[in-house]
Amino acid sequence: MVVHIFGKPIKHNKLVSIGLAKGIFGIGYTTAARICAKVGIYPQMRVNQLSENQIMDINKEVSELLVEGHLKQKINNDIKLKRSIGSYVGMRHALGYPVRGQGTRNNAKNAKKFNRVERYKL
Amino acid sequence: MRPTLNILTRSVWKGPNVVPLPIAHAIKTKTPVRTNARSCTILPQFVGLRFQVHNGKEYVEFEIVDDMVGSKLGEFAPTKKRWTYRGEQK
Repeated sequence: MVVHIFGKPIKHNKLVSIGLAKGIFGIGYTTAARICAKVGIYPQMRVNQLSENQIMDINKEVSELLVEGHLKQKINNDIKLKRSIGSYVGMRHALGYPVRGQGTRNNAKNAKKFNRVERYKL
Repeated sequence: MRPTLNILTRSVWKGPNVVPLPIAHAIKTKTPVRTNARSCTILPQFVGLRFQVHNGKEYVEFEIVDDMVGSKLGEFAPTKKRWTYRGEQK
């Protein structure tokens, strides 16, 4: 009961745009809606109603964007660059603290979870 | 795809924030540039020079490399020290 789009399993009863946004890293709701409009899918269409050709078209559109592994690699490289030149942003990533001037008296939970030099394991 | 990232930055007509610094003198004599202007943008002309930037207490010295172009001088002179437990003092 899953349909594979761009090599990713997406559940059959989801709306196409929402399935794309949830299933593929680097595609959000706006980009997904834009892809659907370009390929010619009406907004209420479900994933299991897609024909082979439409799936091929979506794959083609998605493959032109920076998604999944390549995007994760790019984010990792950007953080590593900041770290290697010794800037404040890189230092905050290495310490696991917020980068953009937020306080650390309380919370900073997401920074603790995500901010590190190698953010995504590939 | 995401125009806001480019729109919500500094206005183009202002150009980068550049503070008059004795660059020509520094290139000639190879001495570090001592400055308090932490918000000065790093220009391609600065590459290879040594800067001493004030962090509120002392002047932190570093060399400009290619990748630093476009960021500010203050990003490389940290103003905070990491807290460490000093142990028992008597």
